[in-house]
Amino acid sequence: MKTFFFLVLLVLAILIGAYLYRVLQGPTIFDRLLGLNGISTKAIILLVLMGTVFERVDMFIDISTGYALLNLVGALAVAKYLEQKGLP
Amino acid sequence: MTFSFEIPLLLLLLVTAVGAVLVEDLISAILLLGSYSFFLALVWAWLGAVDVAFVEAVVGAGLATVLFLLTLFGTAPKVSRLRLPPPPMAALVSLPLLGLLLLYAANDLPQFGDPQSPPSTHISPTYLEQSYQDTHTPNVVTSILMDYRSLDTMIETVVIFTAGIACALLLRRHSS
Amino acid sequence: MDILSVLFILAGLFFLIVAAIGVIRLPDVFSRAHAVSLTDSLGAFLMLVGLALHEGLSKNNLKIIAVLALLYIQNPVITHATIRAALRAGLKPWRRRPS
Repeated sequence: MKTFFFLVLLVLAILIGAYLYRVLQGPTIFDRLLGLNGISTKAIILLVLMGTVFERVDMFIDISTGYALLNLVGALAVAKYLEQKGLP
Repeated sequence: MTFSFEIPLLLLLLVTAVGAVLVEDLISAILLLGSYSFFLALVWAWLGAVDVAFVEAVVGAGLATVLFLLTLFGTAPKVSRLRLPPPPMAALVSLPLLGLLLLYAANDLPQFGDPQSPPSTHISPTYLEQSYQDTHTPNVVTSILMDYRSLDTMIETVVIFTAGIACALLLRRHSS
Repeated sequence: MDILSVLFILAGLFFLIVAAIGVIRLPDVFSRAHAVSLTDSLGAFLMLVGLALHEGLSKNNLKIIAVLALLYIQNPVITHATIRAALRAGLKPWRRRPS
């Protein structure tokens, strides 16, 4: 079971690499923002999965909740900024 | 627990750091810095330092991104594109040498989680055994932060409070 | 129970891989948004359900379900805000060139 979870962790890390390609490559700023949103979703799942691997979900789930809430605020701030400022 | 998952995370961290330096746009650099500190939080969570990871995820990835954006929004620079001059020759020579020196020094550190290393034979058992009798606080981390190092923590709080006041004064909009 | 959770996790992983391929291969922002919001939300949903099933009935299970609900709401909201900003900034949706 633990090996299976570790393989899932590795696949998720590779998927984060795919999104990171989009963040680094993206022709417009909105591509980068979308890629960052995908990375944060993967990372929240990754934290819960890490908690399952260590069998201490109670410690790891709090980080993912806090990060999910703050990620919402940050991404909405960036979107509002770009909406008022236009394309840089 | 023998999987070394931190190596792919460190690779992602390296790619993000290089990208944040090389990217041409200030907003993209801010976004890359946010994902950088979140990868750092993932590495710390994997190594078991959950409270440090929590602080890094909340402050580094969440609050710092919003603060940088507010600064960019409040100062409203004419040009948000960066044109980096090529780095000087001395830096290109001396910084890799410094890195090699640090790697050489890191060889002498004990392995991660080594039960024979001096911290885990002397310091950790002492705190684990005596912190409850000394301070009557059930959580060891809280007792070290708030009792043994209380002055340190208090001055840190003062510094953070002063920095917050300065940021609020700098970013305040003039209503007139 | 374990087999069920493994099945859910594998289904979620499938959708996440499809979303990553879409993010790399699709031509412009507006089409990439479909990959990030729809497919990614479904994948994350299935994966967290699998993890909650593996965890069993406890207080942590409720917390995982709270994260799941949060993710399921916030992912489309963020994508919508980003894409609206992109549309107002004047980006044109991609069209196939007439041959």
